[in-house]
Amino acid sequence: MPSGTDRSTGHSSRQTARERIAAKRAAERAAAERARRRRNRLATGLVVTALVVAAVVVAVVVQSARTDTSGAVTPANTAAGTGGAAFVAGPADAPVTIDVYEDYLCPACRRFEADAGDELARLAAEGTARVRYRPVAILDRLSDDDYSTRAANAAAVVADAAGVEAFLEFADLLFANQPPEGGPGLSDEQLITLAAQAGATGADVEAAIRELRFGDWVERVTDQASQEGLTGTPTVLVDSDPLTTPTAEALLAAVDAASG
Amino acid sequence: MTMLVPWVGTGCRAVLSAVLLIAGVLKLPDPAAAGRAVRAYQLLPEPLVAPIAFGLPVLEIALGLLLLLGVFVRAAAVGAAVLMVVFLAAVVSAWARGLTIDCGCFGSGGQVDPDDTAYLSEIVRDLGLLALAAVLVRRPRSRLALTDRAAPPSDTDTDTDTDTDTVPGDTDAVRN
Repeated sequence: MPSGTDRSTGHSSRQTARERIAAKRAAERAAAERARRRRNRLATGLVVTALVVAAVVVAVVVQSARTDTSGAVTPANTAAGTGGAAFVAGPADAPVTIDVYEDYLCPACRRFEADAGDELARLAAEGTARVRYRPVAILDRLSDDDYSTRAANAAAVVADAAGVEAFLEFADLLFANQPPEGGPGLSDEQLITLAAQAGATGADVEAAIRELRFGDWVERVTDQASQEGLTGTPTVLVDSDPLTTPTAEALLAAVDAASG
Repeated sequence: MTMLVPWVGTGCRAVLSAVLLIAGVLKLPDPAAAGRAVRAYQLLPEPLVAPIAFGLPVLEIALGLLLLLGVFVRAAAVGAAVLMVVFLAAVVSAWARGLTIDCGCFGSGGQVDPDDTAYLSEIVRDLGLLALAAVLVRRPRSRLALTDRAAPPSDTDTDTDTDTDTVPGDTDAVRN
């Protein structure tokens, strides 16, 4: 049948052939066009990938520089053997070592201090324990004005200028006057007033509180604490073992066990 | 109904890109906190903590932008799906190990009270986002996209899988 049709319509068969050729060329053109588009898309994709990789690298470099605290100035009167991160009460040769990590904005830290603060002071005064207070700032996002960092800086300023006794007094005042989370912290002026109450006065103290002189130090010791495994406050270690619940009862039980 | 199909992809892109952009941007201002959030999972060795904590937000923002604009949607959706699987694995492992941490998905992170963990809702949210990404991997073309457009409604032809992003005034006329 096809051959018969071919003979009888020779003209239209040539036409059909031309159409076939045209269709084939069109298909080739379309294929070439698709290939061209694929190449373009591949090239654009590579460029976009390279841009994303570059942006990630830049971010890592910039954020590393922002978190670099190698230039941090460590305050005076920090405890030996803590990398300049703690202020210590009690004798260095006490049988038990207690580490207390606290953020001055942390309500649970205030409750722990209200519950166990006197016991900590007694253990240190009796020589049963050396208590290493480690201020950290992990709650900056919970105040409008980075209060955690500002308060820890002020505590370092007080310790630096007036010693550990004044630091302990100032820490008590900070917890007694703790602002609620989610709003503004104490102002620099309020911190300066409390510092004076604790025994640290003078233009240099005021300047150091206002200019965050130990701000990099706060960042450094917070990072150090995080690397030591700190994920929240208060964290209380008795001879390196964390209390599961931060209460006076648990503290005394752990100290009894540790001093055997 | 068929009119609405390409808009499903647009919706998926909108939700997924919004979540990725917000999550990425919120992690940028406080890199130290981002590092602590990563460290709190106790999964990565210390040398990897900073690169992940600082690089991840940028990756989230990049994927969010691609999805928002509708460019390389399938690749971006694959990337988002991979991220969600990684996040799911991390959250599930934190839960299984009895850690009591915030996922740190939108900044913050670190330890929370045992009563305040939100692992289940974090997992459900990530599964939902994973599903949106899967839809986009399967059908990357949608409305309101810069390049990965769905065929306009007037086009009744069925080639929805390739070549719908042709430039007007295309080559045939020019070449002949």
